[in-house]
Amino acid sequence: MKIKLRHAVILGFALIAAGLSIFVLKAAVLHYPLTPGVRATLWDFELFLEFDGRNEPARIEAFVPATDVERAFPQEEFYNGSFGLSLVAEPQTRNRKAVWTYRYPANRKVLRYAAQTLGETKSTPLPLSFREAGPGPVPFEADPVKRQAFIVWSGNLRQRSADDRSFADLAIAETFGERTGSEQYADEISALLDERTGDAGRLELVRQLLRSQGVPARIAGGVYLAEARRRVETHRWLEYHVDGEDFRYFPDGEPARFFTIWYGTAPMIQADGVDNLDAQIALRALETSATAIAENAPGPLGSMARTFGFSGLPLTTQLVYQVLITIPVGITMLVFMRQFIGFKTLGTFMPVLIGIAFRETALLNGVLLFSLLIAFGLALRFYLERLQLLLVPRLAVVLIFIVMMMAGFAILMAETNQAMGLSISLFPMVILTMTIERMSIVWEENSASEAIKQGIGSLAVAAITYLAMTNSQIEYLMYRFPELLLVLMGLCVLMGRYTGLRLSELWRFKALAG
Amino acid sequence: MYNTIKALRANGVIGINERNVKYVNALNPRKLLVRVDDKFLTKQIVAPAGIATPELYGVIKDARDMKRLPEFISHPDGFVIKPAQGSQGKGIIVVEGPLKGGWRLSSGRRIDLDTMKFQINNMLSGMYSLGGQPDKALIEYRVKFDDVFGKISYRGVPDIRVIVVKGIPVFGMLRLPTAESDGKANLHKGGVGCGVDLATGKTMRAMQHDQFIDIHPDTAHPLEDIQTPYWDDILLMAAKCYEVTELGYIGVDVVLDREKGPLLLELNARPGISIQIANRKGLGFVLDKAMKLGDEKRSPEERVALSKTLSDSAPVKPAMIEPQGA
Repeated sequence: MKIKLRHAVILGFALIAAGLSIFVLKAAVLHYPLTPGVRATLWDFELFLEFDGRNEPARIEAFVPATDVERAFPQEEFYNGSFGLSLVAEPQTRNRKAVWTYRYPANRKVLRYAAQTLGETKSTPLPLSFREAGPGPVPFEADPVKRQAFIVWSGNLRQRSADDRSFADLAIAETFGERTGSEQYADEISALLDERTGDAGRLELVRQLLRSQGVPARIAGGVYLAEARRRVETHRWLEYHVDGEDFRYFPDGEPARFFTIWYGTAPMIQADGVDNLDAQIALRALETSATAIAENAPGPLGSMARTFGFSGLPLTTQLVYQVLITIPVGITMLVFMRQFIGFKTLGTFMPVLIGIAFRETALLNGVLLFSLLIAFGLALRFYLERLQLLLVPRLAVVLIFIVMMMAGFAILMAETNQAMGLSISLFPMVILTMTIERMSIVWEENSASEAIKQGIGSLAVAAITYLAMTNSQIEYLMYRFPELLLVLMGLCVLMGRYTGLRLSELWRFKALAG
Repeated sequence: MYNTIKALRANGVIGINERNVKYVNALNPRKLLVRVDDKFLTKQIVAPAGIATPELYGVIKDARDMKRLPEFISHPDGFVIKPAQGSQGKGIIVVEGPLKGGWRLSSGRRIDLDTMKFQINNMLSGMYSLGGQPDKALIEYRVKFDDVFGKISYRGVPDIRVIVVKGIPVFGMLRLPTAESDGKANLHKGGVGCGVDLATGKTMRAMQHDQFIDIHPDTAHPLEDIQTPYWDDILLMAAKCYEVTELGYIGVDVVLDREKGPLLLELNARPGISIQIANRKGLGFVLDKAMKLGDEKRSPEERVALSKTLSDSAPVKPAMIEPQGA
């Protein structure tokens, strides 16, 4: 007894936990939206290279976005023309380089790279290697003058800061601050900075300052996903990790979304043996459904979610499952209403099947048609009782009568231009027949009021389950997160061991509560 | 609402869910249920244990048996036709005697042979059995009930329901037909249920439609303090059913015949829980006690003796029947 109870409870909670954890994983990590119709912006990124061949060996190198697991980009394309393309991965810097080569190009040539991306935000985590203890402080390597300046300045920065974090803030403020020449370390800073290198040089200086303190830092280059246009500039920024927190410093102002293309100080594009190189980056915003993006999520997790989803099925099958997957919701509600509230229904799952039939007729029409069919069916059943037919033939007569009634309704309604008659055809005839049979037995054996009570109870449960099963939010959740079936299953397992009183029994045993 | 739950819990009231999970499912193995679900089989297996049942006049399984129907029903004192797998008294025909070429039903109506055959055919095709499986029709002795309950019955046959847990009778109830229940003793049809004190066999206060009552609604006779004859025999009969059926949680339905004494009418593997209202206390605490005591090996006689100590004669407040006291 006790062991069975514990077993069931453990199984129930395990199913619920499994279902919920997959659900949370998909919602939080793969960003499956929780409501239907959520839109998201997908960016088309295009790198367009145009140049004149010089009839000598040409080599064009361009950094292209690394296919990190953390980043979503559904598709990428290369247009190579007659050039040879090789992709070189640099694991050290996490960069990926496209190298286009041709022996004797002539005339104007075009190379293209395109990808789609959702982009990243400030909250996109930095790679895990940043979190681990780095290789320790890296000393500054330069000529003695610069080194002297670096040591003096960094030593002083260290004195004026409390920890790595304030050190980083101070280093950035002093490197990027407007210099009036009157600062304490203006000389050291100008000795270290080559003004011609601009922000890239300053970022590099801060990076070296941070590295000398053992703080993991890197320079990233990419584009800001702000507006769709041609000839987008590339930007650089600094990424560092202090005290368990990720930081990004953008010298050109913080973008809402950005797309990292490469890391390091090297220029994005390097071309040898060509003239009049024109490199353009174009961005285009695409409004798409967030679900579609989530379903194309990269990485093993994304492909697993795809495998266990319905999007791979043919469209007609998908539509079928969109309906089927809501039935367990109705069934679970039915179990609850029977075990906890104590609804009396005709037949175990009959109300849910009627609820499914209501999908076609809508609620009010469905209830009307159902009541009419049951009423006429019952009348026929009582008449047949007098003919003393055997059970199975009698059931058959009732079923045929129901089909006739349904056809009659359809024709009548069609003539008066009522669309509702046409929707009736999917009413479950067999279920109706059995309902009529059960109801008439209850009618005879118990009482008419009991039969009507059970009929109304069934109708009420059918209406409630119908409302739940056709709720677009529930339909969406079940269809996009089929793992919720495990949760429903777990709930039913737990309800299967519920030994408490039903709501209706509180009423029934009221006399004993005094 | 919370207070109601608390009060019901304190009185040991159990609901259908608890009955199903803790008692019916746990104590009644599914493969043994056929012993009580098929009344024909029940009759056969209880006979060797010395449990008396109404005499069987005939069994109808198919059309060939139907030809012998006139032979089976040639009893001027009347007879009863019931589906072997019927539940809650569904489909039972009680015939009191011949009437104008046909027969008189207990309800006073007349029935002819064709109607009777039609209704038997309904039984055979499974109209009253669970899941509509083909069934048998039993034709048996009509009980001539003891007059002791005559003043508190309106037509039909009163019967006695004893709940037996692991062979220990725990609750008893006298079920009385009323005008509303159409001569049937089923509580959900409006029959009256009287709690019966296990120790003495005397009726206690009663209920109808889940409400307490003190007098019979039709005869207006007080229901309390009527001695059930053969009470110890009834308890022993109920206790013996445990060995026969090996089911740990059953309702034993017994009727008292004027000449033959107590007869076992049928066994029920899912006895209803309204008996709690008739006894004006919950089953919970007594069931807990019986569940513990029932695991020790005892003879039916010892279990009957034990059952009389389980509860006191008056409807008790829970404090007096603490389960720890056992």
